[in-house]
Amino acid sequence: MNRRNALRKTALLAGSAVAAPSLFSLLQSCKQQNRLEWTPQFLNEDQARFISSFVDTLLPRTDTPGALDVKTDIFLDLVFAKTYDTKAQENVVSEINKFNDDCKAGFGKVFADLNEEDKKAVLKKAESETGKFNPSVWGTAVGKQEPVGFYRSLKSMAIWGYFSSEEIGLNHLSYDPVPGEYKGCIPLSDVGNTWSL
Amino acid sequence: MANFNIDAKQDMTYDAIVIGSGISGGWAAKELCENGLKTLVLERGRLVEHVKDYPTMNLDPWDMEYRGSLPPEVRQKHTKGGRSGFIGETNEHFHANDLENPYTEVKPFMWVRAHQIGGRSILWGKQCYRWSDLDFEANAKDGYGVDWPIRYKDLAPWYTHVEKFAGISGETLGLPHLPDSHFLPPMELNCVEKHVKSRIEKEFQGRHMIIGRVAHLTEPLNGRGKCQFRNRCDRGCPYGAYFSSNAVTLPAANATGNLTIRPFSIVQSIIYDEEKGKATGVRIIDAETSEVFEYYAKIIFCNASTLSTTQILLNSTSNRFPNGLGNDSGELGHNLMDHTYRVGAMGKVDGFDDQYYKGRRPNGIYIPRYVNLDEKTKSDKFLRGFGYQGSGGRANWSAGANREDFGGDFKDSLMKPGPWEFFITGFAECLPYHENKVYLDKGNLDKWGQPTLAIDCEFKENEKAMNRQIRIDAKEMLERAGLRDIVDFDNEHEPGYGIHEMGTARMGRDSKTSVLNGNNQVHSCKNVFVTDGACMTSSSCVNPSLTYMALTARAANHAVSELKKNNL
Repeated sequence: MNRRNALRKTALLAGSAVAAPSLFSLLQSCKQQNRLEWTPQFLNEDQARFISSFVDTLLPRTDTPGALDVKTDIFLDLVFAKTYDTKAQENVVSEINKFNDDCKAGFGKVFADLNEEDKKAVLKKAESETGKFNPSVWGTAVGKQEPVGFYRSLKSMAIWGYFSSEEIGLNHLSYDPVPGEYKGCIPLSDVGNTWSL
Repeated sequence: MANFNIDAKQDMTYDAIVIGSGISGGWAAKELCENGLKTLVLERGRLVEHVKDYPTMNLDPWDMEYRGSLPPEVRQKHTKGGRSGFIGETNEHFHANDLENPYTEVKPFMWVRAHQIGGRSILWGKQCYRWSDLDFEANAKDGYGVDWPIRYKDLAPWYTHVEKFAGISGETLGLPHLPDSHFLPPMELNCVEKHVKSRIEKEFQGRHMIIGRVAHLTEPLNGRGKCQFRNRCDRGCPYGAYFSSNAVTLPAANATGNLTIRPFSIVQSIIYDEEKGKATGVRIIDAETSEVFEYYAKIIFCNASTLSTTQILLNSTSNRFPNGLGNDSGELGHNLMDHTYRVGAMGKVDGFDDQYYKGRRPNGIYIPRYVNLDEKTKSDKFLRGFGYQGSGGRANWSAGANREDFGGDFKDSLMKPGPWEFFITGFAECLPYHENKVYLDKGNLDKWGQPTLAIDCEFKENEKAMNRQIRIDAKEMLERAGLRDIVDFDNEHEPGYGIHEMGTARMGRDSKTSVLNGNNQVHSCKNVFVTDGACMTSSSCVNPSLTYMALTARAANHAVSELKKNNL
């Protein structure tokens, strides 16, 4: 056990003392963390748990739905299954496994089994270590796009999956399928959130 | 819609045959039909009826199972055209299958094809600019290529003619080298575009920034509805608000009762009658059954798209024309041009955080050419010139991928529009080089047993010098307009990316150095007309489609008048 693990255990104990969760909610959270409630089309159970846990850490529920609420994990599994070629699929699997291996090396557990603080620490580290997307013009990156790394590309896909979902597009962003006109300058307050389309 | 001749063998003879149903073919059909000619339009692809065959026109992202992504087996059909970055689930069905329609890239060349009624008129960018004598005199002045046999005054009334019917929105500017069109009301610039415009025009004497001139209706016209600002054009427009053959010219042609359309008709060759000294018809292969048919007519319009038209002419051999119909000059297949693409700069604009816009405008800004207009603006680095397209807007949630952040606050912040961004990207004229060419590759046959095309084309030093200037100028304009975080770029795309392929059957004054005369007739076979991009003698730096429309209408009316005089 390393020092971080020891600290994490302490924090967990302190947290339970303060929050005093009911037995029911503890069971619920165990269930959410350890068992999939959907059947992946492509990923195995461990990889699917990683994706669910990743999108939940990246885009958790707040006043608005989280990535799990709009099934971003299930959508990404579908995207891997149906729109990736074999080579890209193999790459996803090996990258997820590598990500989990790194978590095990650092924390003794796969990503999905880490506590919230450690998950955040892992993502924070990945943020600093992965490249960025070049800006794009008319759908294509400008300049020479260097590989961005697995974390950045999965993050991008999770954001896409979340914001292109019906719940977010219809009920949280500003949805206007047939604007009927173009007005070049209006107060942002007239619109509120960003246009969904 | 039209009178479809799908299996009727009895109707083999028409007054006119039009090969291809895209932008120029649609115009040829309309003008010929309206002049009373029984016209057969041959289209190699499938039938696409306006509105009825636009299956994705109203889909939101979540209505599509993969939200617009394509499965690998579908992507595989677009290994070439897909390089454009434009092909997704919303429009894949309007792009030709590259596997069934192979071509050879002797040097890299991206060829975007659309095999259906309407062709690429369903997919085009709709930017419309008149050419000027700066363009028509360019070859004569600097000696590249041959002189155009026409000047702006020859085409000006035909520009007006097609603009009134197509519907072009834009703003008059009064520039002699970018003549104003007959305009519908312009679309609006947004706050940041207005800001950048005023800064650039103040900082740079002689430079202008205008709203793009586009074939979108900003007012209803001839029963077509105005643009609803959905920006879903490449799925087909249910309002008929943008110009396409399907929504505009073919319905007009059909209304005359003179139009017959035959889809799935691959023109194998044009039939030349050695005794009569003219073409008598075309030989087609039915794309579905591989049966061969012949159709006959007094005049033939070639509008298959630049390279496909030349492919047909090269494949139309006879004793008189052993190297392709009308190829006495040896120039058929040569002088291929395109515009350079995706060289420019982008940046962020501060100070408009409380401003936004409504509507998804299918249009951007345009910065007309400002170099090599006269002695004062002459460059010592290159010939000809370039213009810029671009636009401004606010970043959305997709910018979140690059932000070094995650979690609940991060997610909620992405619900709000991000910073204002603005970009410009140049389109440079390409000189006509004899060695930029296409030829028949008889060793590579397609599934119908026909020779495919080999494309051997590259940008050379003049185009590269212009791209360097485009990049430098773009960065400087954005800097002096006060943008921050400026990124300048040159993607070094090969030709084809501009999707403005031009030349290979050029117009000219002399049959020894060109394929077509000043009325788009094959010099040595005057009842064959070529009015698509193949006819172009130079490439200008502005988008070519409006000029194809005007040339086609002019040539079609010339053909009718010559027919009446029994000259064809």
